[in-house]
Amino acid sequence: MTVRITLKVNGVDHRVAVEDDTLLLDVLREQVGTTSVREGCGVGACGACTVLSGGSSVSSCLALARRYDGAEITTAEGLDENDAVVSSFVECGAAQCGYCIPGFVLMSTELLTDNPRPTEQEITDHLEGNICRCGTYPEIRRAVATAAQRRSPA
Amino acid sequence: MLEQGWVGGRRARFDTAGRVRGLVSHVGDQPVGAAAHVAVHRSTQPHALIGAVHTEDALAMPGVYAVLTGADLYKQFGDRLLTGPAFADQPALAHEKVRYVGEPVAAVLAADLATARAATDAVWVDYDELPPVYDLADALEGSAFVHDELKPSSVFGDLRHLRGVRDTNVNYTYTLRHGDAQAAREAGAHTVTGEFWAPPTHHVPIELPCTIAWVDAGRLEMLTTTQTPSYVRQTIADLLDLPLSRVRVTTRPLGGSFGAKMYDRLEPLAAALAWTTGRKVRLVASREEAFLLTTRHGAAVTSSLTADAEGNLVSSIADVRYDTGAYADVGPRITAKSGMVTPGPYRIDTAHVRSRCVYTNKPSAGPFRGFGVPQVTWSHESLIDELAHRLGEDPYAFRRRHLLREGDEAPMGTRMHSADFVTCLDSVANAIGWFEPLERGSGRIRRGRGVAVGVKAVLTPTIANAVLQFNQDASATLLISTVDMGQGSDTIMAQIAADVLAMNSERIHVVRADTDATPYDTITAGSRSTYHTGNAVRRVAQAMRDKLIALGAQHFEVAEADVELTPEGLRSGERTVPVAELVHGHFGARGATLTAEANFTTSWAPYDKETGRSEKVTEHWFAGAIGVQLTVDTATGRVHLEHLAVAGDVGRAINPALVEQQLTGAAIMGIGHALFDQLVLDQGQLVNGTLLDYQLPSIRDLPDKLTPIVVESPHDDGPFGAKGVGETGILGIAPAIANAVRDAVGVRLTTLPLTPESIVTALENKQEEES
Ligand code: FES
Ligand code: FES
Repeated sequence: MTVRITLKVNGVDHRVAVEDDTLLLDVLREQVGTTSVREGCGVGACGACTVLSGGSSVSSCLALARRYDGAEITTAEGLDENDAVVSSFVECGAAQCGYCIPGFVLMSTELLTDNPRPTEQEITDHLEGNICRCGTYPEIRRAVATAAQRRSPA
Repeated sequence: MLEQGWVGGRRARFDTAGRVRGLVSHVGDQPVGAAAHVAVHRSTQPHALIGAVHTEDALAMPGVYAVLTGADLYKQFGDRLLTGPAFADQPALAHEKVRYVGEPVAAVLAADLATARAATDAVWVDYDELPPVYDLADALEGSAFVHDELKPSSVFGDLRHLRGVRDTNVNYTYTLRHGDAQAAREAGAHTVTGEFWAPPTHHVPIELPCTIAWVDAGRLEMLTTTQTPSYVRQTIADLLDLPLSRVRVTTRPLGGSFGAKMYDRLEPLAAALAWTTGRKVRLVASREEAFLLTTRHGAAVTSSLTADAEGNLVSSIADVRYDTGAYADVGPRITAKSGMVTPGPYRIDTAHVRSRCVYTNKPSAGPFRGFGVPQVTWSHESLIDELAHRLGEDPYAFRRRHLLREGDEAPMGTRMHSADFVTCLDSVANAIGWFEPLERGSGRIRRGRGVAVGVKAVLTPTIANAVLQFNQDASATLLISTVDMGQGSDTIMAQIAADVLAMNSERIHVVRADTDATPYDTITAGSRSTYHTGNAVRRVAQAMRDKLIALGAQHFEVAEADVELTPEGLRSGERTVPVAELVHGHFGARGATLTAEANFTTSWAPYDKETGRSEKVTEHWFAGAIGVQLTVDTATGRVHLEHLAVAGDVGRAINPALVEQQLTGAAIMGIGHALFDQLVLDQGQLVNGTLLDYQLPSIRDLPDKLTPIVVESPHDDGPFGAKGVGETGILGIAPAIANAVRDAVGVRLTTLPLTPESIVTALENKQEEES
C-alpha cells in the first residue's frame, strides 16, 4: 500500500510516497536525491548506506522507509564543509575513491557526539562495521582523532 | 604554494572535499528517466545443456517489457555474441550450454528493478546435465570439457595457433626454460619443495557495477563503471558490427575497482539488449551478482628451489595452474606474465616453469590487483625463506645476497632497471627492527618476524594518448581516457602537466573518459597509468609549452630560445607577459583555446615460444618488499600484526602522499588475502557470496603500526623518472606474514588463507611429529 510520509532530510522537509517494503536507502537516493547514501551490500554489512536518524546511525539498506515518518535524517551532504569531522577527513586525506567515506563520516559524527574523546580502541569498536576497500583506515583513524581534538580541545 | 601541486608535491587528491561529503557523482547516481531496468535469470547448474527456456510466466507479469534468452541474442548476433579479451568464449547470455552456477541465462526488461528481479524467478529452464568440472584436478584429468574447442580472440596475435584445439581444459600454457633446471636440481646440495595454494578471492569494490545503454541516432551510447573504456568501445563495436565512430562509452569516477570493472562485465549484455529492443536499459549488479561477475584466480603451484653447497641458487622449478573458471577472460595473459616471474627476483642459474590457464565450471576469474603475481610470490617467497632456514642463514641476508641488481638479467631474459629490490628489502627490515633482538615470548603468545620481496612486469606493449586544451584564462583541460577509481590519476596527471607548464595544478581539469572526446588509452590497469599516460601527459604539456614559448617569442620579437615559461608568465630578459594576456592578444578573444596532442607507445620483444624468454618482455619492473612483526596465539591460532612495513620502488613519487596511500591500501587488502579472505565453492556453488559471509579487512585488522616506504630509483624513460605503484604493495604480504609465523612458531604453511584453525592444526601436527 502506498502511503505518504515526511522525512526531514538535512533540515528540509520532503513529502515522499512509499510502499510497505520501500527501503529508506531507495527513498533517499531516488526521491530525495541524497546520493551520498550508497548501497554496498544490501545486508547491513558494509556501512556505505549509513545515515543518522535523530543523531543515531541507521543502515538505510535495512530500514523500512515508512517507519521513519517525521524523522530528522542527516546525510553527509548535510554536513558543513567546516564541520569538524568533515574538515578533519579532508585534511587527513581520508578518502581514496571516497565511495565508503560518507558512511565513515556519519559514524564518526555519532561517535564524537556520544563520546567526545574516544580512545583508539573506541574508534575501532565504533567503525569496525564499515568497510573501506581502498584501505583508507589509517587516515580515517587519524581524521577521527583530529576531529575529536577540534571539537573539544583538551 | 604552487610547487605543492607539481611533481613531488603532496597536494590533496582532486575533490577531496566532495568525496568526503559524498558529492562526487557516480554512474549509478545518474538519473535515467524512462528506461527498462534489467534483471538476470541465472543458471542453477554448473555444467548443462540448455533445453527450453520458459519465459511465458515472466512475460505475463505486469510491468515486464521483454524477456530475452541467449538463443534470442544468438539469432541476432551469431558468433559475435561471444566476447572476451583473450578468448572470444563468453556469451552475454548463455547460449546452448551453461558453464557455472549463476551464469546469466535470460534477461528480463521491466519498468522497475523490483519487477524485473521478481520476474526472473518466474523464468524456468530445462537442463540436460553434463559432468561438472569442479576444480583443477577434474579439469586436468580431462574427461569432461568446459568448452568444446578453444576460441582465441583477435586481440592477441600470439594466441592464434590455439584456434580450434579440442578436448582440453587447458586454454594456454606458458613455458620458461633457462638452462637444465632438472639436472641442476639433481646436482645441487639443498632442495626445498612445496605445494602452494592461493584460493579464489573477490575484489569487492564498494561501488556496485552499473551500466546504462541506449541508442541515439543510430549509435550505441553507454555510461558504465569500467576501467577499460577504449576496450569496451571496441568490444561493443565488434558485437554490434558497427564502426567505432558509432559507439560511445563514457564513465564517471569509480567507487573502487581493483580489476573487477574491466573488459567484459555488464557492457556486452547492456549493448545487446539496448540494440535489440531499442530501449534505454539500466543494469546494476546486486552484491551477490557482483561476486559472480569475476574473481581472482585460485592458483596451485608445485615448486622447488635448489642451492649448491656454497649456498648459490642453482635451480628453480615450478608447475603453476591458474583456475580461470568458465571463461578465459584475461587468464592466458595472467598465466604468461606471472609464469615468467615465478622464480622470483633472484639470480638463479637455471629455471623451468610451466604455467597453465585452466577452465573449470566456476565463475570466471580475471584481473585482480597483482595480475596473478601474488599467487606465485606466495610460492617463491615461501621457498627461499625455507631454504634460508634449511641452510641456517638469516632469511633477510640470504635473500639480499641473491637479489637481482641493476643490469642483471632475470631468468626470463630481461634486464633489471629501476627495480631496487635491495633498498626495498633493507628499508622494511630496518623499519621493523630486524637487526634488533626480538622478545620471542615463551608462553602461549609467540613473536616472529618475516620479510618478502615481490617483482612484477608492467603490461607491455601499450598505448597512451593525451590532448591538452590550454584555455585563454590560463586554465587547462586535459583529455585522457584514464579512469580515476580512487588511485588518484586525475590528481597526478594534473601535477605532471602543471609542473611542465609552471602553472597551478588546481587549474587543470581532467576530463572523464568519453570515447567521443578523450583519446585512446589501452586500459587503466596493471599500474601502468603513471608511466604510460603520465608520459603522454608530459609530452602534451611540453608541446603546449613550446606553443606558448613560440607565442611569447612573437610577442617579444625575440628568438624562442630567449623566452622562458615561468609561474608569472612568459619572460624574456626583464620583460614578462602573463599567459592569459598573451593568449588573449594572440586570438583577440576571451575564452579561446590552444590545443596540443601527444602519444606514448611502448614496445616489447615477444617471448620465445620454446623458452619463454625475451630480452625485453616488459617496459619496466615493479619492485617491492614487505617486513612484518607479529605474534601468534598458540592456543587459538590467532595472528596479531604488530608492525607491517611496505616498500615500493616507484622510480619517482609524483605525489608521495598518494603513493603511500597506494602502498598501505594494497597492504591492507593483502592482509585479508593472507589471513581470511577467500571465496568458498561447494560443487560449483558459491557459498559465501554476500558481505555477511565474505570477510574483508576492517579497521580492526590494521596492524598496530603500518609503515609505507617510498623508494625512488628513477626510471630513465619514466615521466620525471616515475613508475606506477597500485599493485606493488600487495605482492609479498601473504608470504611475509607466513614467514613471520614460521619464525614465531616453527611451522610452514603453504595454503592460504592462514586461518586460526590451519595454524592450530599445523601446531598439533608438529607436536605429534616431535613426540
Ligand atoms: S548497503 Fe547497507 S550496510 Fe551495506
Ligand atoms: S575510499 Fe574507496 S572504499 Fe573507502
